[in-house]
Amino acid sequence: MFQYALKEMRKRRNKYALNVGAIILLVVLLITLNSLSLAYKDVAVLPFKTINSTIIVQRNGNVPENMTGVVLSCSSAPIGADYLSRVSAVDGVKDVSSGLLLWVFDHDNFKRVFGLNWTDGFGRGIESQITIGSAPQTNGEALVDKAYADQYGLAAKGHVIVAGADFLISGIVESSGKNVIPADVYVALASAQMLAYNSPNLQATEKFNQTDVNIIFVDVDQTNLNQVSQRLNNIFNVGQSTGGNTPTGQVIGSYSIYTPTSFESQISSVFKLSDQLTLILSLIVPIGAILIIANSSGHTLLERRREFGIMKAVGFRNRDIQRVVFSETLLQMLIGYVAGLIISFIGIAILARTTVSVNVPWEVGGYPHFLVPDPNLAGTVLTYLLPITFQVKYALLSGAVVVAIGLLTTMILARRLNGLKAMEVLKYD
Amino acid sequence: MTELITVKNVCKTFAKAKAVSNVSLTLKYGELLAIQGASGSGKTTLLNLLTGLEQADAGEILFDGEKITSMNEDQLALFRREHVGIVFQFFNLIPTLNVVENIALPLFPVRMPRDKMLDRAKVSAENVGLSHRLDHYPNELSGGEQQRVAIARALINNPEVIFADEPTGNLDEKTGRMIFELLRDLNKNRNLTIVMATHDQSIAAASHRIIKLRDGMISNE
Repeated sequence: MFQYALKEMRKRRNKYALNVGAIILLVVLLITLNSLSLAYKDVAVLPFKTINSTIIVQRNGNVPENMTGVVLSCSSAPIGADYLSRVSAVDGVKDVSSGLLLWVFDHDNFKRVFGLNWTDGFGRGIESQITIGSAPQTNGEALVDKAYADQYGLAAKGHVIVAGADFLISGIVESSGKNVIPADVYVALASAQMLAYNSPNLQATEKFNQTDVNIIFVDVDQTNLNQVSQRLNNIFNVGQSTGGNTPTGQVIGSYSIYTPTSFESQISSVFKLSDQLTLILSLIVPIGAILIIANSSGHTLLERRREFGIMKAVGFRNRDIQRVVFSETLLQMLIGYVAGLIISFIGIAILARTTVSVNVPWEVGGYPHFLVPDPNLAGTVLTYLLPITFQVKYALLSGAVVVAIGLLTTMILARRLNGLKAMEVLKYD
Repeated sequence: MTELITVKNVCKTFAKAKAVSNVSLTLKYGELLAIQGASGSGKTTLLNLLTGLEQADAGEILFDGEKITSMNEDQLALFRREHVGIVFQFFNLIPTLNVVENIALPLFPVRMPRDKMLDRAKVSAENVGLSHRLDHYPNELSGGEQQRVAIARALINNPEVIFADEPTGNLDEKTGRMIFELLRDLNKNRNLTIVMATHDQSIAAASHRIIKLRDGMISNE
């Protein structure tokens, strides 16, 4: 029976091409759309991977009246050290790191200086990006970003001056385009805190204690992300508002908590798909496939009425004819499914070579907009290869949908065939 | 000869027109019976009732003692598959199957290895002189060859009886004569019972017995 179905399909390949094409389209769209949707969620996580964290916390502060000397990166405010222990105590938190991002307006140049602990998660992330030299061993040593070093002719074992303080360059890092919060110079947290504490301009803008930071990195399991994020909201956003707004619209004194979800809307690509769109397409496509296949099979059935009449005349029972129809449907589904899998696999391999950009919100670690020719260049843009992979679960899902369509089509056709009278079709057709 | 088919007072009406009216007859094993009558006299309807392709409105038909008039559709299909071969005027071959596959068609629903099925079809093709045309498709055959395929298909299940509805009606005289000779040889050499509706007087005259139908009734036997 199966060989008969195969032969029938070969002989009427143009008729069956539409059905097979509908199945291929169904499988390709179901697998690719869902894999794309998943990939975009993964893209939003990528900026956090390099800093070994899942959540970034910042406090929104005032803008200095003059951009001179050492100031907090705009428009952040100090966060007291006591918050670190409170965050560490939250259930689901694996690790907490902190940092101090400063803007330093020296007389000859501008630099972003990041103070960090070399032994915590964020510090280890930066250390892994060292391309020349080694990590600083003392508070008097620093790492310099390669782009900045190239611009100002700096090298390992040389010196970099930050607000009058001399740092020995222990190594060069390549952090541009990789770090969600990029900097030009990386120093020990204590050194950065000393620079901030001693800056009259900074102290005039925000009261800064010597142990304060302005960024907290929190590492949690993805499964606990929403739960922890909610608890952090409870810790940070209680009675902090002073009423005014930062230039980008944040309430001064409030805390901003960034998670991968916050970055999803910042992903720029033509392939971007929302969950809702994926869900809608995942429902529409199978319905469309059912309509195409049922319609096409209905036409084929009409054309083959005489053939089925002959079969009944020579001794085929209804169930035997149903087996014929089922074999043909099964074969079409099988060919369409396998071809769909192969095309999806190739399509996903091609998509995996495309890049996708993530625009990091400017408040997280932007550049002073007045120092760049176009304000749009002040933000941080991270570029990644689309992390799309062939997902077996979607292959299985599409397989289940194809089986369901096959059974439904067979049932519809079987009902129509049961009413077929051999002599009526042989007499009149 | 013992009775193979017994028809008792069978009636069939289509839209108030009586196609077969109160027909009774018996058919013996090995008999070659010709049914004659003008167009619309009820020949085809009577054949269809005998093969179970149509259900009688009244009366009963017994096949080897078994009442086929009380069988359901599936039982009738099995009855045709196991006991009956049918030859149509317009051959009714499946265009996408070649000769050997068309002959093997009644065996498709039977659980049987494909090789064995095709071997049987080849033997059947040989019996009707079509061994050289096995791989050809119906549109590559002459009318006579197509009818031979239909006869081979009717023979594949070793039926007790072949019902042929105007088997020569769509063929030229010479080819028609050859097809009839083939049927007569099968009747003679294999003692195969044959019931044949025909307009052709000479063919009817060569049969064992002739039944004439007029307005659905047997006018003379």
